[in-house]
Amino acid sequence: MMAFKVVFAKEFRDGLRDRRAVLSALIFPLLAPFLVYFLISTMIDLRSQDKEIEVAVQGADNAPHLIAWLVEKGLTFSPSEGDARALVSSQQQELVIIIPENYGSRLAAARTSYVEIVSDSSRTDARAAVSRVRSLIGGYNSEVAALRLITRGVSPQVMSVVKVVDTEVASKQEIATALLSFIPIYIVLAAFISGMGIAVDSTAGERERRTFESLLINPVSRLQIVLGKWIAATVFSVVGMSMTLVLCMWVMSYVPLEELGLRFQVSPLQVVGMLLATLPLAFLATSMQMLVGIFAKSFKDAQSYIGVLVLLPMLPGLYTTFNPIGTETWMYAVPMLGQHLLLTDVMGGEDVPLIGYFLSPISVLLLCLVFSWLTAKLFERESIIFT
Amino acid sequence: MIEAQQLVKQFKGVDAVKGISFNADAGEVTGLLGPNGAGKSTTMRMLYGLLAPNAGRVLIDGINMVTDTRLARTRLGVMTDNHGLYSRLTAREHIHYFGRLHGMTNDQVEVRADELIRLLGMMNIADRRTHGFSQGEKTKVCMAQCLIHNPANVILDEPTNGLDVMTTRIVRDVVRELKTLDITVLFSSHMMHEVARLCDKIVIVSMGEVVAQGTTEEIKAIAAVDDLEDAFVKLVEQVIPK
Repeated sequence: MMAFKVVFAKEFRDGLRDRRAVLSALIFPLLAPFLVYFLISTMIDLRSQDKEIEVAVQGADNAPHLIAWLVEKGLTFSPSEGDARALVSSQQQELVIIIPENYGSRLAAARTSYVEIVSDSSRTDARAAVSRVRSLIGGYNSEVAALRLITRGVSPQVMSVVKVVDTEVASKQEIATALLSFIPIYIVLAAFISGMGIAVDSTAGERERRTFESLLINPVSRLQIVLGKWIAATVFSVVGMSMTLVLCMWVMSYVPLEELGLRFQVSPLQVVGMLLATLPLAFLATSMQMLVGIFAKSFKDAQSYIGVLVLLPMLPGLYTTFNPIGTETWMYAVPMLGQHLLLTDVMGGEDVPLIGYFLSPISVLLLCLVFSWLTAKLFERESIIFT
Repeated sequence: MIEAQQLVKQFKGVDAVKGISFNADAGEVTGLLGPNGAGKSTTMRMLYGLLAPNAGRVLIDGINMVTDTRLARTRLGVMTDNHGLYSRLTAREHIHYFGRLHGMTNDQVEVRADELIRLLGMMNIADRRTHGFSQGEKTKVCMAQCLIHNPANVILDEPTNGLDVMTTRIVRDVVRELKTLDITVLFSSHMMHEVARLCDKIVIVSMGEVVAQGTTEEIKAIAAVDDLEDAFVKLVEQVIPK
């Protein structure tokens, strides 16, 4: 295995000096966690119920009782004038409530009064405020209606025919995991992105630089050359992937998930389990990239093929997001699906059958060896050596 | 000693090499001469084992290149015609890499690399990354990586192509030096004066066949002309169908 080590050492050193490879190995792992933090915090911010909402209102004097009730529930109001539609569509206001002059007279006559909410539903940031205002006014409606019935000697329960009672069976950690389902996808992506630079540089790059011929003239088996290159690329991939995972988990501990009433905690042991679960993906990613890379005549050429390859590992993640499936043992043996299941299960704090830990790396490593063997075969092909 | 025996190579049904035979002996410089497209590069590639001949044999010191490829390669140093280098490695790291691939230890490589760096006059570039090297500097690195493992047989594919006078001289000096060390040197070129000056033996190929081989005097005698260049043109054109 002497030659294998020589090739590995050279490719690793070469890779570290390759600014393009190092950047692509580091940028994603460094950026992804912050993206995760930003996305989830924004989501929480939007959903958060306690946020103070300032609402523009026109004709507040027409319904002093309603306004006072809403203020009591935490809304603050600012009087507004002018064209409400223009105010909303020019984004000066999230929403405007218009209370017509006849509000009071209809109320007094026990007829339905109307309150208009002007809003722009294409604005995500305003949605939370609109639905909060709407549900508060709905609450006011039931309260006043109930009072009206009571004064007429009727029980308010007459109005309430069926009431839904929610019973949640998923644990809070599981709900949080579903909410965070894009984290496993990021980790898989990191495995594919981080090793790509060097996997491609040591195959397509070797052809592009015209060093391939000189390399193959040496008395070394092709398989050893391929293995050396593969493992060097995999080290990059593993580092990038581990960084993404650890940083994501670290960042998640700062996200105020409890504001949604959710709990998300991972123990160091779980992080180790997740690393073990995803490790085979790094090997798979680079062996696939090398196989594709050797067909390409240049780095750019290879990048366009490999762009499509990145979608492949995301499929199980996307599929299970939209079609949740019950895990069965054989699924652990399906490359990529197995890793995805392991990762989400460990992250969700579920028990994984021990066989899952064995099946998933074995099937992936077998596939890797097939890819590497094919790459080594292609290293012998005349049309690839001489281009 | 390098022996080509009845080498045949076809690409998609087209005959590139049609039965080439010659020997390059130890302590001699053999020049493979031919116009573009004559089958020189194809022949060279079969000799260093990256193309498999459709028929015929290649022997390096009696070892069959097709059946015993790795052993044959240990006895062979090759400089290909494309002079590609890893741009992020220094010249010295380059030479090291190839020495290690030949199974040498770190210490062996270091001693030998220093020797070659001195021999090829590349002290000033040895520890620079090869990115941006001139054609001459690239050739020196390739030459060093070809000689790092002290091969008994050396194949140089158009080594002086595109070089300035100074570097050409260094290459020539190295070839002469190799000859005194009793090493087999085979090199291809299409520069007549160079071949005449350096080679003990010339093999002229055209249309995938050997049209003549021997010393410069013998070549001139075969063509029945006084000038080597005229002899070359005459011999090459003989086999080109009109």
